[in-house]
Amino acid sequence: MTSLRSPLGWVLRGMAVLGFIYLLGPLLVIVAASFSDTGYLAFPPQGFSLRWYHAALADARYLTGFFVSLRLAAMVAVLSLIIGTAAAVALTRFAFPGSVLLEALFLSPLVLPALVLAVALTLFFSANPIAPPGMTRLVISHLLVGVPMVLRVMLPVLRRVDPAIEEAARNLGASPTKAFFLVTLPVLRPGLIAAAALAFIFSFDEVEMALFLGSVRDAPLTVVLYGAAQMQMDPTVAAVSSLLILLALLLMVAQQMYANR
Amino acid sequence: MIEGARRGLIAAGLLAPAALVFAILFVWPQLGLFLQSLGGPPTFSRFLGDSYYLGVLGNSLLLGVCVTLVTLVLGFPLAFLLARAETRWAGLLLLLTTFPLWVSAVVRSFAWMVLFFRSGVASRFLQGTGLVAPDFQLIGTFAGVVIALAQVLLPIMIVTLYAVIRGVDRDLEHAAMNLGASPAVALWLVTLRLARGGVLAGSLLVFSLSVSAFATPSLIGGARAHFMAVTIYEQTLELLDWPFAAAIAAILLVISLSVALTYGKLLGEKTR
Repeated sequence: MTSLRSPLGWVLRGMAVLGFIYLLGPLLVIVAASFSDTGYLAFPPQGFSLRWYHAALADARYLTGFFVSLRLAAMVAVLSLIIGTAAAVALTRFAFPGSVLLEALFLSPLVLPALVLAVALTLFFSANPIAPPGMTRLVISHLLVGVPMVLRVMLPVLRRVDPAIEEAARNLGASPTKAFFLVTLPVLRPGLIAAAALAFIFSFDEVEMALFLGSVRDAPLTVVLYGAAQMQMDPTVAAVSSLLILLALLLMVAQQMYANR
Repeated sequence: MIEGARRGLIAAGLLAPAALVFAILFVWPQLGLFLQSLGGPPTFSRFLGDSYYLGVLGNSLLLGVCVTLVTLVLGFPLAFLLARAETRWAGLLLLLTTFPLWVSAVVRSFAWMVLFFRSGVASRFLQGTGLVAPDFQLIGTFAGVVIALAQVLLPIMIVTLYAVIRGVDRDLEHAAMNLGASPAVALWLVTLRLARGGVLAGSLLVFSLSVSAFATPSLIGGARAHFMAVTIYEQTLELLDWPFAAAIAAILLVISLSVALTYGKLLGEKTR
């Protein structure tokens, strides 16, 4: 493209490079700092040591938090996928009055601040203790964002699927349920996996609702990290952060490999 | 008719779980939030009549404006080049741009804390320029929160702009240049004009997320983080003044909703 070889093109390029460094630099800084052989957080790192990784893995809070987060995110992903996909099928395959309004309502938590949802739920649960504090409360609260995330992915996917393939299956003698599971569901699979991944990542990374609604015993990793980062500049936090960055990288690569298959 | 009734039952069955979750966990608590903020002592007049809390609101709105401007200035060149790149690297670069979204905001904010504390690289650099006091640190400053939060929200701006710029017909840019416009003028008159809706949509999204952001302002701002979300957190979990917390949350909700409605209207106009 001509404009990219002009002076303006070089200005744009220079700014893009700066933007890239700004975007990814801090993540590299934290990984580098986690290897520093110093008793405090140092960047540029001095020496090389894995002692902060040993410290992180030996600290029960981080390990417990990690497994709490894993359990939480897995439950949120599965439940959001089931509830969200069922609602998406109803909204796209059945015509009923008020469906447009209902769809808008179901998607609206995505535009509301997580903190407002968290405060509203805190007040709600204290007045109506329908679930014990901790894991149960967190799971059902995260559904409030997980279900809309699944809907946002699945609604367009379901609308793109040609209803004719389902009809063809039915003409060949399949029941509506059988046609859905045998014909439509396999077509939906990439969308379903993307939706579940989104809900999982959201729940795993979320901190606001977790701070408000979690219990000390069931504190997800983000809450443990938030507390530790607030207290002191501890290199152990950098080690845990680096492990989380690595995990995110692996998840992203896995997702890409699946998508490009 | 029997077929119709059965279809209705199936639809209701499919919708029931989501409807239940939303009725109990969304509609009820949100109404409760408004009722709680209205009941008891006059919370809204306390917020709006107190210069401290008005300052908090102003701080959050200013944070929103600053973060939006930074993400726009840094995000547009990146989104433009990614949208127009023809190499096979473009896909990988786009993937790298969105990678931070996979990492928790707590981790991304902590990375900035490493750079911002008194002996951190960024603070030491500023101390070296002599423009700030020798014991200056970016932690606890408004500028620090802007820098960190803009980085946290930059991928969202880039993704929004990328989608819109991809939709701009590049033949129009070429046509403008063939007619004698310089690349800069073509970019300004054609690309930016046509991408206007997307620029506005991305800005509103980032603004809304900045005004209500919690983790980054709280970690980088520290004890001096006078922002809406942090204040709500303190009122709810530390001071236990729930009616007041509910009132501040309701104000934040109204801001987010009005921004979201404008955003929805813009996107609606674009697709029409």
